[in-house]
Amino acid sequence: MTTFWDILHLLTATPLVPVAILGLTWGILGGALPGISASITMALVLPFTYTMDPAMAIALLACVYIGAEYGGSIPAILIRTPGTNSSAATVIDGYELNRQGRAGEALGISLMSGVVGSLFGLAMLALLTEPLSWLALAFKPTSYFALGILGLSVIASMGGDSLLKGLASAVVGLMIATVGTDPISGVTRFTFDVADLLSGVEPVVVMVGLFALTELMSQSGSTSVTQLGGSIRIRLPGWAMMRKLRRSQAIGCFLGLFEGLTPGGGGSVAAFMSYNEARRWSKTPEQFGKGSEEGIAAPEAANNTVASTALIPLLSFGIPSSNSTAVLLGGLLMHGLLPGPRLFEQNPQVIDSLYVGSLIAIIAQIGVGVLILPACIWLVNRPRPYRAGFILALILSGLFTLNNSPFDLGLALALGLMGYLMRLARFPVLPMILGVVLGHMVESSYRRSLVLSGGDFHIFIEDPIAVGLLGAALFFIVFSLAREYRDARRTQLQETHS
Amino acid sequence: MRKTLTGFLSAVLAVGLGTLSLKAEPLAYPHKVVTLVTHSSPGGGSDVFLRELSKYLGKYIGATFIVENVQGGSGAKAVARVAAAPADGSVFYATTPTYIYTSLLSKPSATYKDLEPLVNLFADSEVIYTRADGPFNTLQDVIDKAKKERGRWGAANPASLERQAAEQLKRAAGVNAAIVTHEGGGDMMLNVMNGTLDIGIGEIQELRSQLAAGKIRLLATFNPERIPEKPEVPTVKESGFNVSLVKFRGLAGPKGLPDNVTKVWDEAIKNVLADPEYKARYTEEVLVPNYIPHAQYQAFITNFADTTEAFLKETGAVK
Repeated sequence: MTTFWDILHLLTATPLVPVAILGLTWGILGGALPGISASITMALVLPFTYTMDPAMAIALLACVYIGAEYGGSIPAILIRTPGTNSSAATVIDGYELNRQGRAGEALGISLMSGVVGSLFGLAMLALLTEPLSWLALAFKPTSYFALGILGLSVIASMGGDSLLKGLASAVVGLMIATVGTDPISGVTRFTFDVADLLSGVEPVVVMVGLFALTELMSQSGSTSVTQLGGSIRIRLPGWAMMRKLRRSQAIGCFLGLFEGLTPGGGGSVAAFMSYNEARRWSKTPEQFGKGSEEGIAAPEAANNTVASTALIPLLSFGIPSSNSTAVLLGGLLMHGLLPGPRLFEQNPQVIDSLYVGSLIAIIAQIGVGVLILPACIWLVNRPRPYRAGFILALILSGLFTLNNSPFDLGLALALGLMGYLMRLARFPVLPMILGVVLGHMVESSYRRSLVLSGGDFHIFIEDPIAVGLLGAALFFIVFSLAREYRDARRTQLQETHS
Repeated sequence: MRKTLTGFLSAVLAVGLGTLSLKAEPLAYPHKVVTLVTHSSPGGGSDVFLRELSKYLGKYIGATFIVENVQGGSGAKAVARVAAAPADGSVFYATTPTYIYTSLLSKPSATYKDLEPLVNLFADSEVIYTRADGPFNTLQDVIDKAKKERGRWGAANPASLERQAAEQLKRAAGVNAAIVTHEGGGDMMLNVMNGTLDIGIGEIQELRSQLAAGKIRLLATFNPERIPEKPEVPTVKESGFNVSLVKFRGLAGPKGLPDNVTKVWDEAIKNVLADPEYKARYTEEVLVPNYIPHAQYQAFITNFADTTEAFLKETGAVK
């Protein structure tokens, strides 16, 4: 049993405090660089940990993960480029607030929501690992399929001015998700003998293309010389704002908890779903997409929660639920540590320093954020030609490091052009991104379920989780359509009256 | 950036460890720096294998070893990288059955035929496992269930040796079973543990934590012989089904490796496998040493690839 003295020993006699703060800072920087995902940021420090004490090494990796999940929101807000897959949802309202000259406020909200999410996730990890690990077991292929469908049902309310355009955009996203190696049979699809396409199109390439490159193209096309302006001061949300954000943060924490437990998503599904749920439950849903504070708080609370709860299946089963936790697993194995129930008994010092280190990192996140964020805001407030050149170089070099492949650059540029044309034709890009993120999970778990049942569709109604999730998806779709119909009629009536 | 950074660090590490163990006399080698390429990401299977190996190789070969991760294309890019390198013993690739499967299924620009197998080190142990509190105690129980109704068997990846093993077992036993492929062993293990699947077929390394916790039970191994650390687990062959597999792990280089290079490696790998410290490390990871020298490795790989190709043609995965 861990005593107060153990913790005091960790804080004073081991380098845990500097390790946690350094790890966090490195994680924030890595996460903030577009194309450098949380897992790459972690993999980069992995060689440093070979010679470290195992307890410190694991705490370092976990702190890098926490930092990277938060860091991804910085470019999402400032330059419309999600630094990591899971910060894509933050782009929507974060960048909008930035355009209104409220970058400092948006960054403050994402920072504090990240802290709330991380604290919640860590509490779940430290207190409820055992019961929650059994929840992970309850998810079968049918449940994953239903979860993916529930995620896709968000599209019904994301379509912007036309549901049809939203659906068209989503279908393109789903089509992109089919490129690569077939998840069930292993044959290759739509790869055109290009080796770079064998493992499919990475979601981050699509996101960077559609969000960031499209934005750069639009900006270059506009003649106005608007300066973003605004203060470079970072403004942490006050109590009143935190109270306002309470509900959206709670939604984010809850969905983040679930996504962390289930293999596959790595935070992006929870971020998108919590964004949509926050809008559904908000008192001011019309603000979403136009610079809503809640629209930042929900996805950021969600992806930071995942950074801790994703360790639950890792530590209790040795199952990495995302690329980032796979790197952490590699770190554990390199130090001869075997995850599983016995890790808690045999190496309690590793678990202790992991928990305490994470806590230090979460608290330090506020300080580090306040220190580095003004510099980031200053950087993106430079005159537009400099800024555009800098962003383009940053994005392209980041993308290149993904696979060291020039192919990805061409792909991102082509997608950027596509996004630009879609913007001109008023097609929303969000459904397409969601299709890319969720397509693979929906397809592979759907087909896996049918292989299991020998083609019998009853398997989907035999799984209570799947029934619940599919029912919720159906409800949301009908609800959104009904609201759309009602709104359309109301505007029609107003028009005829005036 | 990633490449140079990890490369630099492993170089520093290898030099450091090399100087520590001056008492053994390393063999002279024509290159100061040798690059070991893997398709796996940092922390992944082949990556850990190479990094562990390079820690001990410095004792036996007078060179510094650098691990380079060339990800993407299910190994196609790493194979292309090595195939295009000079055949002078300065660049090698970590082989696993993956590179044969990718060569056959995806038809990349460079295939296994463009590489020269150098030497084999290990065979990973492929096992059949089930949940400890489930209804199956032997492989025969599983087969009996599949005979009566329909079996549900899991394989870690779609184009993999595990899938092939499952299909071959299904034929050898003449039963009806759905073979459900996954995206990695972890995903499959959850489905075995929650009862969705009767059995899973995977590498024993991925199961270590659940084995230690007593949550899963091994029913049989596809290895030709019993696993030395798990003598109570029978082979599939002993259980009455004529299927056995060798999931090899070794090294390959560009075509036309000079004799002085292959001789050094033959000698050094034999010695490193006998190194007590390295032995303790790989035994812990349940890797079974399976030394195949250069002279025989080519024939082994060709045979493996031909068997695989015939199987894939039979099942219709390739034409």
